[in-house]
Amino acid sequence: MPATTDHSTLAHRLRVLAIGRRPRATLARILVLVVVCFITFRFVLLPVRIEGISMLPTFHDGQIHLVNRLAFLFHEPQRGDIVAIRFSRPGTFSVPSEMLMKRIIGLPGETVTFHAGRACINGKPLDEPYVKLPCDWEHGPIVCGPDQYYVVGDNRSMPFELHMQGRAGRDRIVGQPLL
Amino acid sequence: MKITFRLVLLAAAAGLGFWLWTVLFPSPEKVVLKKMAGLAATATFDSGDSNLTRAAKAASLAGFFATDAQIVINIPNVAIRTFSGREEIRESAMAGFVSLSSLKVQFFDTTVVVGSDQQTADVNCTANVSTGKSKDFGVQELHFQFKKMDGNWLIIRVETVKTLS
Repeated sequence: MPATTDHSTLAHRLRVLAIGRRPRATLARILVLVVVCFITFRFVLLPVRIEGISMLPTFHDGQIHLVNRLAFLFHEPQRGDIVAIRFSRPGTFSVPSEMLMKRIIGLPGETVTFHAGRACINGKPLDEPYVKLPCDWEHGPIVCGPDQYYVVGDNRSMPFELHMQGRAGRDRIVGQPLL
Repeated sequence: MKITFRLVLLAAAAGLGFWLWTVLFPSPEKVVLKKMAGLAATATFDSGDSNLTRAAKAASLAGFFATDAQIVINIPNVAIRTFSGREEIRESAMAGFVSLSSLKVQFFDTTVVVGSDQQTADVNCTANVSTGKSKDFGVQELHFQFKKMDGNWLIIRVETVKTLS
């Protein structure tokens, strides 16, 4: 009965392809993978969807990104870093549902001003190659506290008053987008 | 075997009893969280809802607040306003509900801290509010203060929180 033998061989091969030679080991691997994925994407790499235009042209409305919560585990945020900022419960490790995505331009203790559309740090103009859209902002000095970072979006073409920006405490910074 | 079965049965009965206890006598945190969920649901309405339904919702919304409650909105360059008293809150809600085509209110990341006297509670949350069919929405951090009055948890103060100073 060669046909039956072929059929059973094919079924066996399909079975091996689907669940492996050792089903128990395959099941264990799947379980480990599920647990690792759950922990990774629930607590470490947070999937976020960008909503709004304040980070144009770097981030577009509707883009999906991953926020790395371990980005600032071994070093403090730097100028130019894009960071995710939590709305509520600063200082906790809980996963926030809503976050702000902004870029750090002012570090603790620095004074931030906007003159003729350019950001100035302690009076010196800041080189910002990521700002592509025209800007005419004029704003007086804002001094960052010892634990505060000045954050702003890349889209400076919108009116200063409508652009959510300002000083964020270190405990509000959740992490950094991966790419 | 018989003892094991009895132990399992006892544990299950204890678990059921504990669950029943939490359902019948919920903790203040749970009651306040339920109030917050109810507040969001009451403040949400669809474009298909009639003015009568909206008026009923506005009246119901006011019922979440104490008679001398205050809502302090301080969002520079957007809105700075204070609503004092349940009646003003009801009237403002009524006016807002009629003028908007639809409203969706959601509270995220809600945390409840009940005072040591078990009569007051502080609630922090992030409100996500969207109106109409447009993609426009507003996200605002809020702080609520609740007080237990005649066995009912009522909001005595709501204020906006500055996420970025």
